[in-house]
Amino acid sequence: MKTSSSYTTIAYLFMAPALILMGIFTFWPVGFNTYLAFHDYALVDGTATWNNFAHFKYIAGEELFHSAIKNSLLFLLVVPVIQLAALVVAKLVNSKLPGMTFFRASYYIPVITAVSIAAVVWSNVYKYDGMLNMILSWVGQALHLLKAGEMVEIQWIGDPHIAIFSVMGFVFWKGIGYYMVLYLAGLQAIPAEVEEAAVLDGANAWQRFWKITVPMVKPTILLCTLLSTIAAIKAFQEVVVLTRGQSDTYTALFYVYAQAFQNYNFGRAAAAGLVITFFCMILAIIQFRFFGEKK
Amino acid sequence: MATFTVRRVAGLSAHYAGLLLFMAFTTFPFLWALSAALSGDPSKIWLFPDAFVPNDLSLMWFKRVFEEMPFNTYLLNSTIMSFWTIIGVVVVSVMAGYPLARLKFPGRGLIFVAIIATLMLPSEVGIIPNFITLKNFGVWASSLQEALHLPSDWNMREWVGLNSYFGAIAPNFATAFGIFLMKQAFEQIPQDLVDAARVDGANELQIMWRVMVPVSIPSIAALTIFTLVNAWNDYLWPSIVMTGKEKLPLAVGVFNDLTGPFATSTSLVMAAIVMTVIPVLIFFAFTQRYFIGGLDGAVK
Repeated sequence: MKTSSSYTTIAYLFMAPALILMGIFTFWPVGFNTYLAFHDYALVDGTATWNNFAHFKYIAGEELFHSAIKNSLLFLLVVPVIQLAALVVAKLVNSKLPGMTFFRASYYIPVITAVSIAAVVWSNVYKYDGMLNMILSWVGQALHLLKAGEMVEIQWIGDPHIAIFSVMGFVFWKGIGYYMVLYLAGLQAIPAEVEEAAVLDGANAWQRFWKITVPMVKPTILLCTLLSTIAAIKAFQEVVVLTRGQSDTYTALFYVYAQAFQNYNFGRAAAAGLVITFFCMILAIIQFRFFGEKK
Repeated sequence: MATFTVRRVAGLSAHYAGLLLFMAFTTFPFLWALSAALSGDPSKIWLFPDAFVPNDLSLMWFKRVFEEMPFNTYLLNSTIMSFWTIIGVVVVSVMAGYPLARLKFPGRGLIFVAIIATLMLPSEVGIIPNFITLKNFGVWASSLQEALHLPSDWNMREWVGLNSYFGAIAPNFATAFGIFLMKQAFEQIPQDLVDAARVDGANELQIMWRVMVPVSIPSIAALTIFTLVNAWNDYLWPSIVMTGKEKLPLAVGVFNDLTGPFATSTSLVMAAIVMTVIPVLIFFAFTQRYFIGGLDGAVK
């Protein structure tokens, strides 16, 4: 029989690869990022000099950073929309009718495609002479809202007032299948009898949705809201590939990315990153408190 | 009774109408891309609804993608990187999951909490420090190469530093998701099985490899599939680490080419997109139950 101390050695040996890799690529960056935020960093020779909070003072007064934060907060609008839509869609595909596997799969396709590739298609959809305007024009003409030959010409990703919402639309399209699957798992845990009883009692679909489905998938709603809130605050890959920050679409993390890899100001990027990490933490804590009490 | 049937038919029609409408929303960009890529005559690809039917069916745009873009290089790079990412993730997760699930040792609770806590961190913020870390790895590797008087054409800087396969995939090896998934799987294995192996004189490595792993194949398969899709689609990190064109994976290489010099012909762009998406779709068709049915275990 082995002693417990030999188990300790074995346990740490087994965990060594994970701990080393996480140490280098996950935990070290947190510390190093904090260090960078307070220093001027020169990429060429790797020297860092203390700069007396200069980065924080700079971003506190910078218009671009403010608009980036504003856009990131605006991005939170996606959260309730995507949650409600995902729950409704999950409800639709959670049935024994034929063809459901096919529908689920087709809703999941955007999730499994690379964000960069999907963005190339969507930039063609969003162009002023792109597919979305073509579809809208066709619908408009079919409904006689537009005169024959008249076209919808909206600059979906060129107009600073609209562009950020177009990026949100892309995020919605890309993410809804993922949340649908999570809700599907939650819905499948609801016993069928509950709903059947409600049908017998004469409850209509609307009542059943709000009085039975929503309360019973509350844990999933908490999980998904948390996940999508964090995802919304962190949204920036979509910006990188769709608009590259043009037409007023800087989000907070895109600011970090652009400062680091376009301006090569790693210190300032790290300072902005630290501010965002702080935001994320607070948000996570608030959400846990908020939902934790209601449980 | 008649009204009941009418209402039922109406309800069913509304149900399927909703499903079809939403399917149109999720799939129209790719359907359009497919139709445009198959159209030998691109004059109608901007017209709705004509664009959704291939005009003058032909495969010439796909052929031109191979001619004008290093598509095969990208495909090979994506394959290499995805393969090694899967190996890395599975090995690291299995090895770390086993002691966390089945062995008692000091610090277990703390380590587990630390691993789960990484889920809360915005990992994107780690991009800058990781970029610097990899740059340093490259510098150290080339000093090591000089110190050992190794031939200069070995170019060890590009083994572990920037512009290396290692650098593009190693940060993805240790994930909280993978470790958590394997820990959950190992916890469900009956203790009797482990005890029997121990009585037979098996050591911990043998228990893990001969008992735990074979029983946990479904979980390992799920982890493999998720990892493959993530690795195949990873865009941002490889786009930062890979400074040369010859090591770019599909998601980065095709994107760079399509938004750069090749953007002139929409048909060509659409053909390249279809070719990039199709391997994932075929893979998804075979494994979709893991994505859209078997998530329960991972969520709870």
